Amino acid sequence: MAVHPVCRSATVLEVKQEGREYVDLLLREAEIARSAGPGQFLMIRAWPGVDPLLPRPFDIMQCDPREQTLRLFIKVEGRGTALLESLEPGAEVMVTGPLGQPVRDFDFSSVAFLVRGAGAAAVVHLGEACRSRGIQIYSILSASTSSRIVCRQYLEPLSDELLIATDDGSEGHSGLATELLDRLLERQTIDRVYTCGSRRFARYVQRLDKERRSAGFVFLEGLMACGMGDCHGCAVRRKEGNGYYLVCRDGPHFPVGEVEL
Amino acid sequence: MIDLSVEIAGVTLPNPVLPASGTYEIDQVHDGFFSPAELGAVINKTIFMNPRPGNPPPRIWETPCGMLNAIGIPSEGLRRFLAEQLPGMRSLGPPVIVSIAGNSLREWRDLAAAIDESGSADMIELDLSCPNLEQGFVWAAERQALSEAVTAVVEATSLPVISKLSPNVKDISEMAVIAEAAGTAVVSMVNSYLGMAIDIQNRRPALGNITGGLTGPAIRPLAVHSVFATYKKVRVPIIGIGGIATWRDAVEFLLAGASAVAVGTQNFVNPLTMKQVIRGIIDYVEAGGFSSVRELIGLAHRNPEV
Repeated sequence: MAVHPVCRSATVLEVKQEGREYVDLLLREAEIARSAGPGQFLMIRAWPGVDPLLPRPFDIMQCDPREQTLRLFIKVEGRGTALLESLEPGAEVMVTGPLGQPVRDFDFSSVAFLVRGAGAAAVVHLGEACRSRGIQIYSILSASTSSRIVCRQYLEPLSDELLIATDDGSEGHSGLATELLDRLLERQTIDRVYTCGSRRFARYVQRLDKERRSAGFVFLEGLMACGMGDCHGCAVRRKEGNGYYLVCRDGPHFPVGEVEL
Repeated sequence: MIDLSVEIAGVTLPNPVLPASGTYEIDQVHDGFFSPAELGAVINKTIFMNPRPGNPPPRIWETPCGMLNAIGIPSEGLRRFLAEQLPGMRSLGPPVIVSIAGNSLREWRDLAAAIDESGSADMIELDLSCPNLEQGFVWAAERQALSEAVTAVVEATSLPVISKLSPNVKDISEMAVIAEAAGTAVVSMVNSYLGMAIDIQNRRPALGNITGGLTGPAIRPLAVHSVFATYKKVRVPIIGIGGIATWRDAVEFLLAGASAVAVGTQNFVNPLTMKQVIRGIIDYVEAGGFSSVRELIGLAHRNPEV
């Protein structure tokens, strides 16, 4: 049965700063919390008036139907995210969701998440869904430096193994996270790899996919105004043919071989 | 009981609020917001004769109180539209407006004739004014081209024709006069304003198409002026478009002389906007002691002095 997105007021329950750049936001909205599937996202607008105009898209990192809560993990980068950071518990925000396609196919027995920075948030809900199906999970978190390794507290309890790589060597493997995945693949079979947060990772996963070492999937971002297929802003070129997919309507996750990176 | 209906070129709209073309899909995703049967009319994303992919990304860019877009009107082409989309639009209830765009006079004629023949449309809107197409030709920016395109369509169909006009001209009200003389039954205004932004981080134009169309509340006063100025010059009804975010904005357009209003960019911001605007207009009409929304149309012209 198709789930229709809804546009609702949600209550801010918790705003946790994570270092200087990130915010962990907990909201209460019953209907989206009940219906969101792994891999879906929502649009959020948390300010009155018309400036900034557009709502902002974020992956639904966790949802709890019983508690009626949704958790988002936000990197503070511009005006919209700065306004989200300044929210106080009790504030009302407007959310539209769940949007995009949920991951429906769990016909695999092992998965690796290769994620960079706040891209880790995209795979937490998916990881929970995998975990509940007994799928083996290997999480590889990457960032420029240790303070940008985020969402570890959410992925660690789900993962059979969690590896860290930092560019500056301040934590875990010093260097490329893709080397960690390479070593993992030498040692065992990984049916699928989901990646988010780095174009370089996406291209690497595309190569793994092409060489049939693992089936690759990528979470994409796109500049989008609406999140539901109206504005056609978040176009990503199809690998085959002359057209585009919309990240919001056809994604946000794609088989890595189907999109031009 | 408030009468919300308006009449446009012989077609009765149950209320004066409709989506601007290409800003609100009627599909399963939108079913949870409100029923499209509540709208004043339904309209498709502009169709061309042949399929087109649209412009390369980035396609949108947020600006103060607005956004730039250069989508380039991706289209599945006439044949698939007739087979897959139009029958569904017809079944919704409200009057059906089909938005078309031709690349030549012949295409304008053929598109209009095909829509007419389908028997599923109540009106045809001519997108004469998209600023983002690769050929770069804006019919509504040239007097002769505008006149020829409208004439071609009017000759090819018996359905009322709406001409969607471009604000990127010296005087849009003069272009409305030309469209009226060519036989248009309605004018809709405004389409987006040509603009651009530079991405200073990457030191290049923000949009893949370089330039784009500015929409949203930022353009509203400009659009209200266009409607106000045009109302004095033409007899055909006007559909007011441009930065409508709330019912107050919609009422402004009605008072300026629009017989109906279309909500565009705000549908992206809040998918409940059109329903909220309809509700707000009802309350405003009621509170003002009017019995029909039609009494508002052009009222600001009768009270020109402050």
